[in-house]
Amino acid sequence: MAAAMIAFVSGGARSGKSGVAEALTREAHAARGGERYYLATARAGDGEMAARIARHRRERGDDWLTREPPLAFAEALATMPPGSTALLDCLTLWASRVMFEAGFSEAEAEGRAMLAAGLDEARRRDLALVVVSNDLNEDLPPRDALVWRYLAFLQALHRDLAAASDRVIEVVAGRAIDWKGDAS
Amino acid sequence: MQLFIGGACAGKRDLVAARFPDAGWSRIDEMGLDGAEHHLRPGAVRVLTGWTRWLAQALATEPDDDRLRERLVAALDALRNAEREARGEIVLILPEMGRGIVPMDAADRRLRDLAGWLAQDAAARADAVWYVRHGLARRF
Repeated sequence: MAAAMIAFVSGGARSGKSGVAEALTREAHAARGGERYYLATARAGDGEMAARIARHRRERGDDWLTREPPLAFAEALATMPPGSTALLDCLTLWASRVMFEAGFSEAEAEGRAMLAAGLDEARRRDLALVVVSNDLNEDLPPRDALVWRYLAFLQALHRDLAAASDRVIEVVAGRAIDWKGDAS
Repeated sequence: MQLFIGGACAGKRDLVAARFPDAGWSRIDEMGLDGAEHHLRPGAVRVLTGWTRWLAQALATEPDDDRLRERLVAALDALRNAEREARGEIVLILPEMGRGIVPMDAADRRLRDLAGWLAQDAAARADAVWYVRHGLARRF
């Protein structure tokens, strides 16, 4: 069985990051065989969000086993056959749910621990796990304390994930820039 | 002179601390721009941070962006000279903040402009420029 592979794909809004991540996931799956999962972190809270989710679903095709994992997404990974491939899209929304919806007293510590548990589970089960997120930290420093807190939390997750990943890919206009572990 | 530039919480400080474990650190907004070069001891490495706050304070009292930029360029040149004389090294940590939408607030627009010019002027004088993203660094 192929060894575990963790990839972190991020970029700006509509940079094409999901497309790059989907292609990478399909590529990994083609090489590895087994099941291919889509872990959706979005929840349709309003009509705009529902349309956004529908668009993503259309674009990626219906040949995925779609799961809506709990925030502790390691639990979803733990149900997958070893060697499977999974795409988690996206960490940004997951982070906002951890911080603003879950009611944790220490969202940062809980979030980082849940991410670490997910990455550990992926390694343990020899999964290929591709995680998508948004780059939000190259704007003016936020004025609002809560926005700052969210940004610092998201960046802590990004640094943890980048450190643990085999590949780190920045997406600009649909093109991939390798930051770590360029496979080509 | 080495420049590390990256967005908020990109991991710039940790990377610089790992790369220059014996460096002294100073905040430019606390010690001031003028005479900053005197803080470089012979053979030592000095990391300079706090540029965003310095810029935010400076633009509140100096209405002319060109004059501010000239002051900063003069300070960068003084730092370069001090490096040569002291055989030391200056490490600048600068913020990338130019990749969002145009701010509504005029002071925010000026801050963003000045930070961008400072980065360009520093990069033009630096021996090495590193772009930091999610705890990783790429050398330009």
